[in-house]
Amino acid sequence: MPESRSIPPRAWLFAALILATALVLFIGPALFDRFTLNVLTRSMIYAMLAVTVDILWGYTGVLTFGQAAFFGTGAYASAMVLSHLGATPALLALALLLAIIVPVLLGALVGWLSFGHGSTPLYATVISLVVPIVVTQLVFSGGVWTGSSSGLVGYSGLPLGLSGYFRLTGICLILTTAIALVFTRSDAGKLLVAIRDNEARCAYLGLDPQRLKIVLTTILAGVAGIAGFLYANASGVVAPENTGFVFGTEIVIWTALGGRGTIIGPVMGAIGIDYLSAQLSGDLPFLWNLVVGALFVVMIILLPNGLAQLARMVLPRRDREQVSQAGSPALAAEPPGNGAESGNRVLSVSGLGKSFGSLQVLQGIDLEVRPGELVSLVGPNGAGKTTLMRCLSDGTEATTGSVSIAGQDIRGMTPDEIVALGVGRKFQVASVFDSLAVADCLRMARASRKAPSLLHRSLTLGLPEAAADILRSTGLDQMLGRPVSLLSHGQKQSLELAMVVALEPKLILLDEPTAGLTKVERTTIGATLQKLTGELGFAAILVEHDLDFVRDISTRIVVLHQGRLVLDGSVGDVVNSEVVRTIYSGGAHA
Amino acid sequence: MKNKALILAFASAALTSAAFAADGPIKIGVPVGLSGANSVVAPSVVQSAELAVAEINAAGGVLGRQLELEIADDASGAAGAQKAFDSLVFQKEVNAVITMETSAARNAGLPIITKGDIPYIYTSFYEGKSCNANLFVNAWVPEQQVPPIVDNFIKTQGAKKFFLIGSDYAFGRGMLEFAKAYIEKSGASVVGEEYLPMEGSDWTAIISNLKSSGADAVITSTAGGAPNVTLTKQLRGAGVTIPYGNLAVDEGTAKSMGADAAGIFISASYVTGIASDANNAFLAAIEKKFGAELRTPNDLSVPEYEGIYLYKAAVEKAGTTDTAAVLAALAEVSFTGPRGAVSMKKQHHAPLTMYLGQVKADGSVGLVDTFEGVDPGEQCPNL
Amino acid sequence: MTLLLDMVTTAAILFIVAGGLLAIFGVLKIINFAHGAWLTIGAYCAVATAGLGLNPWAALPIAFAVGAILGGVTELVIVRPLYRRPLDAILATWGLGIVIGQLITLWFGRDVQFTPNLLSGTVDVLGVSYSLYRLFAVAAALVIGLAFTFLLEGTRLGLSAQAVIMNEMLARALGIDTARVRLATFMVGTGLAALAGVLLTPLTSVDPNMGVAWLIGSFMLVMVAGSSFSTLAIACLVFGSAQVLVSTFVSPILGGITVAVLCALVLRISPKGFARA
Repeated sequence: MPESRSIPPRAWLFAALILATALVLFIGPALFDRFTLNVLTRSMIYAMLAVTVDILWGYTGVLTFGQAAFFGTGAYASAMVLSHLGATPALLALALLLAIIVPVLLGALVGWLSFGHGSTPLYATVISLVVPIVVTQLVFSGGVWTGSSSGLVGYSGLPLGLSGYFRLTGICLILTTAIALVFTRSDAGKLLVAIRDNEARCAYLGLDPQRLKIVLTTILAGVAGIAGFLYANASGVVAPENTGFVFGTEIVIWTALGGRGTIIGPVMGAIGIDYLSAQLSGDLPFLWNLVVGALFVVMIILLPNGLAQLARMVLPRRDREQVSQAGSPALAAEPPGNGAESGNRVLSVSGLGKSFGSLQVLQGIDLEVRPGELVSLVGPNGAGKTTLMRCLSDGTEATTGSVSIAGQDIRGMTPDEIVALGVGRKFQVASVFDSLAVADCLRMARASRKAPSLLHRSLTLGLPEAAADILRSTGLDQMLGRPVSLLSHGQKQSLELAMVVALEPKLILLDEPTAGLTKVERTTIGATLQKLTGELGFAAILVEHDLDFVRDISTRIVVLHQGRLVLDGSVGDVVNSEVVRTIYSGGAHA
Repeated sequence: MKNKALILAFASAALTSAAFAADGPIKIGVPVGLSGANSVVAPSVVQSAELAVAEINAAGGVLGRQLELEIADDASGAAGAQKAFDSLVFQKEVNAVITMETSAARNAGLPIITKGDIPYIYTSFYEGKSCNANLFVNAWVPEQQVPPIVDNFIKTQGAKKFFLIGSDYAFGRGMLEFAKAYIEKSGASVVGEEYLPMEGSDWTAIISNLKSSGADAVITSTAGGAPNVTLTKQLRGAGVTIPYGNLAVDEGTAKSMGADAAGIFISASYVTGIASDANNAFLAAIEKKFGAELRTPNDLSVPEYEGIYLYKAAVEKAGTTDTAAVLAALAEVSFTGPRGAVSMKKQHHAPLTMYLGQVKADGSVGLVDTFEGVDPGEQCPNL
Repeated sequence: MTLLLDMVTTAAILFIVAGGLLAIFGVLKIINFAHGAWLTIGAYCAVATAGLGLNPWAALPIAFAVGAILGGVTELVIVRPLYRRPLDAILATWGLGIVIGQLITLWFGRDVQFTPNLLSGTVDVLGVSYSLYRLFAVAAALVIGLAFTFLLEGTRLGLSAQAVIMNEMLARALGIDTARVRLATFMVGTGLAALAGVLLTPLTSVDPNMGVAWLIGSFMLVMVAGSSFSTLAIACLVFGSAQVLVSTFVSPILGGITVAVLCALVLRISPKGFARA
């Protein structure tokens, strides 16, 4: 990795901000004519919206057309106060307050609607289409209150001139952009990317991605509301089209053309396209829309990350530099949390059953696991092993019976709540975050214990000793800055195990952790598991096909066959069992 | 008389405005919906403006200066209008804005007109009560358009129960609100009043309600273009044959709708069938200028033509393009054009001659009745 | 009685309009946001047919062919690279919709166009006179529904498409040319959309933006319906009736957003919509 970083990224950001501020405060008003000032003021307000769309779509992966609705409600809330009540300083403050509160409430409602347990990403997009349509309809039927199709006009707003508004919006945009940049680069910002990459993994790291998305939607609705307030004041008019879904698609188009997931790209995209369209659309409205539309289609297909991607191709060096800077944080030891209390049962399952329609996949499962035990779950394909694992880690899965973790019944609990009880689950196919660096992935595993910073990017990586051990024994500790996408299959498996262990669970569920690994890697994982259970007091349930491996490391073996638990005993019991031999020789391939 | 005024104007222009004397053309801004809802009617408006400017320039211009048009697309909406007005007022620096637009576009433009302080002549009929010191209107408001239809339906057709259908927006609601009050004042009753969103295209339930209401006349006020066509098609498809007054259809649309439009009553300040010298001259001139490209002149395009002449008259009366003087003159001047004599003397609005017409089977509009000097009522008592 | 007819005919029209979108979504799991543009293309085919002096009914096969051919080109050029990025496919097809709208505007102008009526007048149904064309729409919906069912159940393409819906990997392993199935499905879907555009002309005006108004409603219905024409029929009946009832007894304004809002709520409660039932 090149060591040639002369100026840290923060300094670049800082310098750019000062430059932009100077441009907005002094050079802009002096240099531009009224027309340009007016257009740029509006473009900058739109750019604020593009930032919010970028955070939601570019970073978190939620494609939304709904920001227009929040913007519109903010603008209408302000304009309605100013039109019907007046524009004294107190009322202006009220207007601003309502311009934030109303969209925030609406945002919370929309978030709650969009992000239920099990709702698909497409569903959020669907809701984001419906909301602007409903809001626009409300505006149309609002009579004199909303001015219906004519909109509201002729109210007075903040006592600022043209340059005043230009400066105010400019500063608001710079602030929004700066906050967004700092936030998306912070530890908490990585969380958004983690959600986009792999929502299930987030849930199984004890995070509640749906709740985080609701919070994000709510906050960004407020930001859109502030933009709406600025718009209502600066333009002196609000109209139904400000709330509509067509406007919502325009914001997405600006974001896409500028380059999603870069913050700066969408800002440039919004300002550039809106400004150009003001210049050109008067002369050739249809041709202009045609060009923008065609460009948009081409971009989505060929350059999904927008013009920013093009810029990066031209400047590949900077890109690599960023990757190297993302990483090499130092490992730091965390004091062990409430790890293993010995004695009590960690897991207790009784009468568990699961059916899909008339198909009974599991029935009558009884099982107990104590701290320090390493229980292997074996059985032929289709025996219900993975289904059982799922029932243990998601309280909404089981059809009958009960599962208790550390004495608490998990019925109806979502994965993240069960993680909080002390269950860590490792999936069969390594489930990690492909867009993040190794250290960031591990930080996600700690995020449920200690809220990540909204401002800073940590330079250290605090991990419990057990997790750090895994990193050291697999060499991952030397690759903390490396993007996960560059890791080998085995390294990803080890990384996921380290992430799960970093949760400091009482019970680890592992679904074929050795599948596709080399002999050496397999031995390393086996040793690690034995250490975790034998020395550190974790309990573990392991689904495994490799019977030799199971024999070497297990303390107990449970055999599943056709959805029933047929045997539960020591390694010796099982290996010598007639039943097992029959099952495995019965044609079912191990 | 006209010549004398011209000479006087010349003299005063030369005396009072040395700064303006060597100026180039007087620029007239026309922000109009080249795209969006108004795009159907916009070309005819632009043609009217082009004809007026060409005629005036051929006759020597205004105060010796040529007129120049600056056309801009307002996309028929508020956001587009802001861009268009910004560009016209502050970039092109027009001397006046004279145009037909949607209410949303007009409202969005007004703050910019006020900031730039130039005269704005609004040439579109609308729902009324838009008041601004810089704004003058030379087209009709509900008080002028609705009574002819309602009176005819009650007196001639014997209608007692009206059903009102509109698009859910300011114009639709404004017109029908007035219509309802006027119908009730005239002794008939309103048995139903229903609205559909502007982009809505399914009138099924409303039409079924109309049929079951026992109404003996229907008055509609939709957004122009698509909703109007959709409603008319579906009304005819459902076999509605009671007297049908359409407050939003223009002659051109009626013509292309063909058989579906037959029988519709329209009330307008302009129909092509007006038998006056001024109208005949206008029709001949515009036909000659545009030939095959001609868009049928209509109630939205003719006021544009007259608006430019009214502005010319005001500038000549004021002897300057200076805003305060022109605004003062606009309230007083009069112009006799295709629609007859028009003067925006009543609270920045104009008393107009209104025509009641009925669409014939071939799509042309036959004149049923004429009402002279219909007053716009109290639109802006504070102006 | 009129109310009942309104409900059935409204459902039929919704079904006709949403059918093409469902065909594509059902098999390809791609939302064709240019669906509105294809409705418009179909309607302009009717305009062009009338302009050429042909029988208005000839517009139906012409529109289907034009829609399918343009759809084929779209699938090859725009949709094919995006099967793995369904959200991007929404955006790309929306952009395509903008482009088509502008091209139509540049070609035909912005004006509202008029087409000859396919069927006009009313007929008496059990004592009430009712629009003949709306009744015809019910028949058309039935024909489309049955034809599509036949296509799916009774033809090689249909069976291949079903295989692709159920398990694409397996379908490919069985030697089904999935790329060809996708292309054919997309063409059928866009052809149906254009056909629906023609069928809409007697009810609406024809202008470059006419399709957009129908897009969201169809989109929501398809989301609820999942991938089967029978669930789409049920969804259209349920939500179409709801729309008519709300419009008649509450307010047509609320009626206009009934379909979208109810569908959104249904999907919140049951993310798979009617597909599960």
